[in-house]
Amino acid sequence: MTHVVTESCIRCKYTDCVDVCPVDCFREGPNFLTIDPDECIDCAVCIPECPVNAIMPEEDVPGDQQHMIQLNADLARSGWPSITKRKPALPDADEWKDKTGKLSELKR
Amino acid sequence: MPDRTALQAPPGAPITTEALVIGAGPTGLFQVFQLGLLEIACHVVDSLAMPGGQCIELYPDKPIYDIPAVPVCTGRELVDRLLAQIAPMKPTFHLSQQVSAVEPQADGGFEVTTTAGVRFRAGTVFIAGGVGSFVPRRIKVDGIDCFFGRQVIHSGEAVPSAKGRRVIVIGDDEAALDTALALADSDIDRPASVTLMHRRDAFTASPATVDRMRAACAAGRMQFVAAQAIGCESAGDTLTQLVVARADGTTLSLPVDLLLVLWGLSPKLGPIADWGIQLDRKQVVVDTEKFETSVPRIFAVGDVNTYPGKKKLIVCGFHEATMAAYGAAAYLRPDRPVQVQYTTTSTRLHRLLGVAPDA
Repeated sequence: MTHVVTESCIRCKYTDCVDVCPVDCFREGPNFLTIDPDECIDCAVCIPECPVNAIMPEEDVPGDQQHMIQLNADLARSGWPSITKRKPALPDADEWKDKTGKLSELKR
Repeated sequence: MPDRTALQAPPGAPITTEALVIGAGPTGLFQVFQLGLLEIACHVVDSLAMPGGQCIELYPDKPIYDIPAVPVCTGRELVDRLLAQIAPMKPTFHLSQQVSAVEPQADGGFEVTTTAGVRFRAGTVFIAGGVGSFVPRRIKVDGIDCFFGRQVIHSGEAVPSAKGRRVIVIGDDEAALDTALALADSDIDRPASVTLMHRRDAFTASPATVDRMRAACAAGRMQFVAAQAIGCESAGDTLTQLVVARADGTTLSLPVDLLLVLWGLSPKLGPIADWGIQLDRKQVVVDTEKFETSVPRIFAVGDVNTYPGKKKLIVCGFHEATMAAYGAAAYLRPDRPVQVQYTTTSTRLHRLLGVAPDA
């Protein structure tokens, strides 16, 4: 079990979640955050922090976001650096926060 | 209703105790009860200022539906009921401090030290640390750390006088808006200015409080800035400016004498990794017979532990605490076999619970 960052985070990256993680399991890419499934302890503290509700437990990930479970793991293992302190969101985050189907926007 | 802040022990000489419970969440509190039924007295350490752990800090008003025989109760109600249940056991709480060190001793026990300088000689240790110690979420901007505790104050810390000072309050919850409003409306100790800052013009505080804040802004008693801190400026050893970025990318320099960062508390898994206990993915490995760790006489119960099939549920923590108490009794009472007794019938348990006819 782990928690998973879904597509809502893409091009927003508000980073509120990283401040509250007790085990520092978030990894940062250019326009997305991912959770390292080997580090996450399923404490669920990050869920309410995300202003776009991008984070959910693995078993609650809806059907159209199932691919994000493996993608979180792959991106975490691809060497993205750890992020433990909050930083400003991406400049146009508020324009992208309500958009769906953002997977093609993901930068690795 | 029990007083959740009662029984705070003073610092001083080492305290000898048969059992030390680390963490006063629901599992830690029930651990006290089960130890009490086995006539093992204990002390309890917690980083929060009151018992309750996640139930109090994360979801005091949310309903819980999966406590046996309690169809529904809030986090706060659960804690109050547990405190009432453990009252006969007379635990001593050491609050607002974290356990910093656990050192094994030659006699099999442990010397335990807290961040407040309290020391224990404990025969057994129960780690009921949940997802970690609740600590303030601190502002993270280069060069600002040296002002912490002086001009930069975080949630849970004492706030110095704001009289005549330019105050910035960062946050968006009820506590943050209440604090900003109280400052803006104060007659004595009136600040020179009050600025509320949050990343967005949207708040988690109640709509009524947000309305009051907007009215205060409209009346000129305070102002709101939608921005995030990205830097600071100082003159000598005084913080003078907070540099902030607005959503449109423009930056702004706000004069500041006192900065209140009210982002609340979040858990951080503390120094458990330094105690020589086997961990798996930052959780404490235990057996499922006694919920004992790789170090004999140290037990781990509740969200902090892991074992095959582990479920992070309060009800599982209660079971784990029960089994751990019997595990500890075997060490502490080696010459006295521990028998299971029932609270319905046992006169010994009735005496411990203060319900015996002659009690």
